[in-house]
Amino acid sequence: MEELISHLLFIGRGIVLTLQLLSGGLLLGLVLGTILSILRYNGIAVGILNRIISICRGTPLILQLSFVYFAIPGFIGTKLDVSTAGIITFGLNSSAYIAEILRAGIESLPKGQFEAAKTLHIPSFHLWKDIILPQVIQHVLPAMINESIALLKETALIATIGGMDLMRKAQILGAEQFTYFMPLCIAGGYYYALVLFIETVGKKIETRGYYVKS
Amino acid sequence: MLRVNNISKKFGQIEVLHDISLTVEKKSIFGLAGPSGSGKSTFLRCIQKLESVDSGTIEYGGKAGFMFQDFQLFPHMTVLENVIYAPKLHDKTKDHTIRAFSILEDLGIVDKTKVYPNTLSGGQKQRVALARSLMMQPQLLLCDEPTSGLDVATTLDVVSLLESIRQRDVTMVIASHDLDFLTKVSDHIVILKGGEIISQVNPKTLKNPINYLKHYY
Repeated sequence: MEELISHLLFIGRGIVLTLQLLSGGLLLGLVLGTILSILRYNGIAVGILNRIISICRGTPLILQLSFVYFAIPGFIGTKLDVSTAGIITFGLNSSAYIAEILRAGIESLPKGQFEAAKTLHIPSFHLWKDIILPQVIQHVLPAMINESIALLKETALIATIGGMDLMRKAQILGAEQFTYFMPLCIAGGYYYALVLFIETVGKKIETRGYYVKS
Repeated sequence: MLRVNNISKKFGQIEVLHDISLTVEKKSIFGLAGPSGSGKSTFLRCIQKLESVDSGTIEYGGKAGFMFQDFQLFPHMTVLENVIYAPKLHDKTKDHTIRAFSILEDLGIVDKTKVYPNTLSGGQKQRVALARSLMMQPQLLLCDEPTSGLDVATTLDVVSLLESIRQRDVTMVIASHDLDFLTKVSDHIVILKGGEIISQVNPKTLKNPINYLKHYY
């Protein structure tokens, strides 16, 4: 029992980095994804944006992570720490998926909502902030929860550039103990607990929805 | 007053409006009749600048308000929020609530300020949409099919509602395929067909205006 607790604590220390990557990546993904989808809707740089989204979705995340961690410092002249490189990579990658989720949400709204705002002379910034995005987010919430869960599990790739997250800690413990099964199961338990937390929060937001869908 | 001079509008190869000119007097209610696809809605949308015209000019003083066929209320805002959102953006110094309550009271829906649009009936939604337009103090109000989906009693309410709006010095242009409603409410009716004005009539001068209008369908 004592051994199990010590294993739990050892692997559990990795949760800090996992949560940093999840929250940072998600926040960056949301901001960039929103900007991308609004720009595309307004027909700004559509070709380039579509290409960026396509590359982010179409190449392995492990490659993107290596590129940001090993290649970008060569361009900018400073080394990135593991968590920063992780947040940038996961944020960029997630923004591509979120941009597509939001596009579907925006296109599902009646065109009349944009026109009604136009007849009321509502400026573009307020149109998006107060009229369009609140409705879109309500519509795409289940897809956003999906994306958050996928992102959480993808953060495990940080181990490939030396990040000490849940999965890496489990691997280290496995190597020390010459058995991987128990440490990996413990890490799996942590991930599942986090997924349950995301699901619960998501359900709360969904059911609290400020208006009943007609 | 509204003056439309020789406007034409094409969607691709299809000419939806062809060389339309008309003048609408101040404070009058102007009806647009015509079969589906005759260009009524496009004409209104051109006046509101939701569509650009290919040629011709449209002139009116002051602001124009637009009533959509499906109302297009903002579903995530309460009735009161729907009504005061835009005025609040344009003038943050004023409290618009009192004026909003007064308009909602005139329209008979002051008890619905706190509810969301999806809990309202078609007639009530229309009144909210009307209140939202009136809050912008338009001199010209464009209504696209204001009675579509409404029952007979509610349609009669709309007639008196539009009459009361006229008292606010608002000029109105109403597109509708409901000839009974149009002849009751309008001072002047033009009939559009294939994007052209094919006839104009003052329904009050005719014995049986509906029959006269039906003639052109």
